[in-house]
Amino acid sequence: MNRRSFLAGTACLTASLGAPAVLRAQGSVLKLGVLTPLTGAGSQDGPRMLKAMQAVVDEVNKAGGVLGRQVALIVEDDQTNPEAAVRAAQKLVGVDGVPVIMGTWASAVTSAVAPVCWESKTALMTVSGADSITQLPHQGYIFRTQPTTTLQATKHAEYIASTGAKKVYYLAVQTPFAVPMKDIMANVLSGNGASMVGGLVYEPSKTSYRSEIDRALAAKPDMIYLNSYSPDVTVLLKDLFRAGYTGGRLTQSYAYNTKVAESLPAEVTDGLVNVQPSSDIDSAAFSLAQKRLGLEAPDSYEAQATDWASLALLAIEKAKKATGTDIRDNVRAISQGGGTKVGSAVEGLKLLREGKDVNYDGVSGPCDFNEKGDIIDCRFRYGLAKGAKIELIKVV
Amino acid sequence: MEILQLIANGVMAGSILAVPAIGLTAMYAVLRFPNFAIASHATAGAFAGWTANALFGLPILPSLLVALLVGGLIGLVTDEFVLKPFRKAGFITTAIGSLALTIGLENVVRLFYGNDLRGYDLPLARDIVVAGIHVGPQQLHNIAISVAIMALVFGFLTFTRMGKAMRAVADNPQLADIKGIDARTVGRIVSFMGMGLAGIGGMLIGLDSSIDPMTGFRAMLPIFAAAVVGGLGSVPGAVVGALVVGIAEELSLLALPASYKSSIAFLAILVILTLRPQGILGREGN
Repeated sequence: MNRRSFLAGTACLTASLGAPAVLRAQGSVLKLGVLTPLTGAGSQDGPRMLKAMQAVVDEVNKAGGVLGRQVALIVEDDQTNPEAAVRAAQKLVGVDGVPVIMGTWASAVTSAVAPVCWESKTALMTVSGADSITQLPHQGYIFRTQPTTTLQATKHAEYIASTGAKKVYYLAVQTPFAVPMKDIMANVLSGNGASMVGGLVYEPSKTSYRSEIDRALAAKPDMIYLNSYSPDVTVLLKDLFRAGYTGGRLTQSYAYNTKVAESLPAEVTDGLVNVQPSSDIDSAAFSLAQKRLGLEAPDSYEAQATDWASLALLAIEKAKKATGTDIRDNVRAISQGGGTKVGSAVEGLKLLREGKDVNYDGVSGPCDFNEKGDIIDCRFRYGLAKGAKIELIKVV
Repeated sequence: MEILQLIANGVMAGSILAVPAIGLTAMYAVLRFPNFAIASHATAGAFAGWTANALFGLPILPSLLVALLVGGLIGLVTDEFVLKPFRKAGFITTAIGSLALTIGLENVVRLFYGNDLRGYDLPLARDIVVAGIHVGPQQLHNIAISVAIMALVFGFLTFTRMGKAMRAVADNPQLADIKGIDARTVGRIVSFMGMGLAGIGGMLIGLDSSIDPMTGFRAMLPIFAAAVVGGLGSVPGAVVGALVVGIAEELSLLALPASYKSSIAFLAILVILTLRPQGILGREGN
């Protein structure tokens, strides 16, 4: 390149930067933000959620994209760490200009990222369960496909009471939902003939919890509710076994998953019950997701991730514009109401282009949101640890 | 009774912490900077030991030797090629460089092993109860291993020529140089030994719980606190410091909610730096 052509090139580039943004955007790639834990305590779920979102985007791109544009996911790692997550969110919003951020997992991370989103008018889609999240002044920008803490605590406590357990101890990692969940469970238990005999909120990521376990066992519980993440639950289960505890144990599926099961001897884990919000296993969306992901049973996280990508893309097509506010204002228009029921983004996009109304019923459930951005209903799946496997007990 | 149980738990936690803390303090004594890369080396050692134990079926003791060798070799190589060039730029630069190194190495482990939790191939036994205090057989093994390692390190520093040379460089590098001791060789040996101990420490932590790429990073604060409380640069101090931090963390449950446990390590550093900056067994000027 000689000096003259370099100058000419630079001049053209400078001139094009002065052109209206809309001119440059035409035909460009539509960027959606993904902020999910690829490392840290959520790293078991983050990569799988990313895969599910990518699968939806690939399918949509193959079918012609959205608003005539191809879709690309801009992926950042939230490190399951609020501080790192805020930096990543600011990059997604400020540098990439994404209209939506999908995939935050830990409640502490979502709480930290939420203000970045609503202040920049960016939609946020999350699996975090803490009630406090949708009580933030988020102006409608948060959509949560995960049942709230209140819904979870109530259902879990009802299940525990139904097993015949009488004295329940609550052992929880320090999170925004640790304390409220304990109080809700205590209430529900006492209304169902059982009681909460004590509770302890511990610090995450310690190498031993023997003293905490000693505290819990001093209350002589016959059921311990382990509200933990997987690195801790591994240590807690070992310490409970060593201490000779033989009563019931219930924990979330994000804490006790197949990876954790494989890392522990069967004698330590047998009899443990794990629970997760259930995918809607009878739905059309579920069987489509099975095929899309090549999985026998996409779990709740893969299900919710599939739904975020689908909801965001359908809302953009409905609005004919791709800003965070358009997504906020159009999610309910495509996910609830009287439109034709659809179970995939591609199906819905086709109908929307034909000018028809759609009602997206997702893999995780009906995806109907209340005015706060919470889903209205959800089912739960209980599994029993046996060997290195998790057997289905029931879905209620 | 609860106090005695908490103290017992603290002794067990502290004796495991002591091994990497000795490594950290020995490296500080000779190389004169806090090598935060100890976190990733503990993780690397833990994974090397896991590979030997769970994949190749070696028993625990030979696996610990693998953890020592791998931790030590990585320590030797990274010090030679990564941290040594930093040292000319001073204490703070080298310490920051070691932090960067630990993050880098942690991600190398993640690249090869992924994020999943891994457990050693080890039968889990119920606790034994002695006079109302319950302890796990594995924890007793871990203590025995820690004590044996400490004895070996003390023996090495007291009776061998290289151990004496190491202490000489730690005491007075100029004088050691005049006496013909090659500070570079001593530096290499202390890097190998210190990071080898970190590797063993990482595996000992994993034996009691499980391992993932963050294993070493999580233990870094208490290890650092143990070395500072005992007196940076003092090997017996690291053992005392580890026991103080371990016991204090457990006893804190009596007065503080369990979610504030880590604050004890920070508090211990604050108290010691305020009242006795050289640490419990450290000497002035260290």
